[in-house]
Amino acid sequence: MDFLVNSLPTILNATTLSAAPLLLVALGELFSERAGLVNIGLEGIMAVGAFVAFAVGKMTGNLWLGVCAAVIAGIAINMIYAFCTVTLCVDQVVVGMAINILAPALALFGYNMFVGANSANATGVVMERLSIPGLSQIPYIGGPLFNQQLLGYLAFLLVPVVTYFFKRFRSGLSFRSVGENPQAAETLGINVIRIKLVACVLCGALAGMGGAFLSVCMTPIYIDGIVMGRGFIALATVIFGRWSAVGIMAASLLFGFFDGLNVALQAQFNAAPVMFFKMIPYIFTIFALIFFGSRHAGPKANGQPYYRESR
Amino acid sequence: MEELLRMEGIDKRFGSFYANRNVNLSIMKGEVHTLLGENGAGKSTLMNCLIGLYTPSAGKFFMRGEEVRIDSPRDAVERGIGMVHQHFMLVEDMTGLENIILGDKRHSTPLLRQEDDRKTIEGLMQRYGLEVDLDERVADMSIGMQQRVEILKVLFRGADLLILDEPTAVLTDLEVQGLFDIMRSLTDEGKSIIFISHKMREVMHISDRVTVLRRGECIDTLEIAKTTEQELADLMIGQKFEESVYAKVNATDEPMLQLTNVSYHPEVKHGGLKDVSLTLHKGEILGVAGIDGNGQAALASLVTGLLSPESGEVCGPDGKSIALFSPQAFIDAGFGNIPEDRNKMGLVGDMTIAENLVLKQTDSERFSAGHGAWLKMDAIRDFAERLREENDIRCTSVSQTARSLSGGNQQKVILARELESHPKLLVAVYPTRGLDIGATSFVHDQIVAQRDAGCSVLLVSADFDEVLKLSDRIVVLFEGQIMGTYPGANPPIKEISLAMAGK
Repeated sequence: MDFLVNSLPTILNATTLSAAPLLLVALGELFSERAGLVNIGLEGIMAVGAFVAFAVGKMTGNLWLGVCAAVIAGIAINMIYAFCTVTLCVDQVVVGMAINILAPALALFGYNMFVGANSANATGVVMERLSIPGLSQIPYIGGPLFNQQLLGYLAFLLVPVVTYFFKRFRSGLSFRSVGENPQAAETLGINVIRIKLVACVLCGALAGMGGAFLSVCMTPIYIDGIVMGRGFIALATVIFGRWSAVGIMAASLLFGFFDGLNVALQAQFNAAPVMFFKMIPYIFTIFALIFFGSRHAGPKANGQPYYRESR
Repeated sequence: MEELLRMEGIDKRFGSFYANRNVNLSIMKGEVHTLLGENGAGKSTLMNCLIGLYTPSAGKFFMRGEEVRIDSPRDAVERGIGMVHQHFMLVEDMTGLENIILGDKRHSTPLLRQEDDRKTIEGLMQRYGLEVDLDERVADMSIGMQQRVEILKVLFRGADLLILDEPTAVLTDLEVQGLFDIMRSLTDEGKSIIFISHKMREVMHISDRVTVLRRGECIDTLEIAKTTEQELADLMIGQKFEESVYAKVNATDEPMLQLTNVSYHPEVKHGGLKDVSLTLHKGEILGVAGIDGNGQAALASLVTGLLSPESGEVCGPDGKSIALFSPQAFIDAGFGNIPEDRNKMGLVGDMTIAENLVLKQTDSERFSAGHGAWLKMDAIRDFAERLREENDIRCTSVSQTARSLSGGNQQKVILARELESHPKLLVAVYPTRGLDIGATSFVHDQIVAQRDAGCSVLLVSADFDEVLKLSDRIVVLFEGQIMGTYPGANPPIKEISLAMAGK
């Protein structure tokens, strides 16, 4: 118990830091699934985002340019997914898997070209934290919530925006209908294909941004495998969060908490193998999916290809 | 009267198959215009062209005398054409209000203006007598209310022409009456309705004019006052339609199937079986009457080997008690089966017609070498072609998927497969559900022909008329129990009806 109380600040700090990228990516996936597209290629898009943000940030010396480049790269990669699933109606899981194989390899290839033997290129800088005066002094939660990097704030600010979009905007309503019943949407004159493509753009952008978070906010480096399954955890977050932005935020924070716990436990029990503690968030993911992973809750037409003129 | 819509020479091809060919149709303002036709006659396809879901291969549309192009559902909405689909096009997870305003663009703001729209909708509800709880999730609504949401959706978009695709198929009698009242108040206000149905009684009751479609072509348009049910039925199937009357036979004493005190989850009122005893003799049709959901599904599953009884005994054609309840064992014992749901249990939708036709016999020498290891494709195709010919299965080729067939033709595929091996015993469950009169009488003919050839038929149906028409003997199932056995010739209809209600 003492251990928990003593290390709580550490855990909480790590919580928001590891929740933010999950949140960005999972919100991207939310857009995708609300339009009926299950995109399991998040892992791959994140890898590309992480590398591009790192490389462009390093080259230009401006981390925000790096983030923008990561967004563009994420969209570009996801256009492969969009073309295959929306236009050609290929199985979504298969395409997502292909992206998971292709994209990290592209990132590694780029990394080897960029760094190569020039080890001076291997380390960049981390985005600075922006402390909000007053609020950041609140005990326990002040630090984690109000002393984040800008990208972190952005992630959490997106939650009310996305919620509002789906609830109050006409296009948000149309968006949801495409994931629930595309035939019905089509008969009402909603352009199903266009919404699906927009969803792919948003998903690619946010997944790229989430990847950028890893190499710009968490660490100043890019290494192969930096994503470490976070793309899949983000996928689980969407299910666990019941396809709502607020739910996804709660789920991301929970996963982040377990990630923080893992960090604290590693420091506390340094004799035990590191891998043992690293398992915690992943094991939690599995349990979360066993208990909350019912497919009934999601958008009804999720994962199904949409053929316009089928008979 | 003023003309609202005219179609000229509409063609719609799928590959080389014409779903519609040279259709001409004219809809007047303020009329209920019925489209009548068998399954697969092209009614739905034609309507999908009109609302922009399909692009016609040829032809023109005119609205109020002016030629219009309808390339997308949005175009149709803008021209004032709206459709209530047979399978509702509703987003179940949204409320009635959200469904109605979905995709509507009357407000230029990006934000929804639900309260403004609610007032508009409530006005429509009042004007046409449409009662809907706008804040209820569609998934929680009754079927009748879901349909009213669909109608409101169309009216909210300012439709002058409403297409109702078999709207009565899902409604109770009372709800049908309510729908007809709504339809009348719509036409009184100058709206036009295209009504699709094949229930003659309703067509005669509600229509002003009727257009008959057959095999994708427009046969004739008639005023309802100047025609008769008989004439329409004849036009629809393309020949003199005579409702066949089947002779009843007296059962032999030879039992083919005997259930003795069979129970299956007897505590479940709507789905279990309790102490069921019945005997099916050689060469008779035994009809099981009853209102849907009184144990029919369990009974059908039991006598096809899908379920094993919890207690009691089932004896097969050889007189021996059946020990192993598996579909294969029942097939080997000479059982044929027309299952309840042709899409789910009867056919593999994504496989071809030919493949579906040999599905039960792929292990036989006839269609494969080495017990199914190597299929003889030529033999399968020839076989399928022969069955297609014999059973008048309407398709472009036997290698098209079963899913692409109309309901009547799907049922023909199942019948062809099940009857080809001349079963000793046929279990037919709801064999004509959702079929039109042509397909229904084909199925009935086939079943009676099997009986005449010595096959025993267990007919399970919720359609009382069907049971009366075909059965040589009738049993009534109520809450999983047999209420009584009645003769099929001169049946005591009143008594049977009471038994079906549990009295």
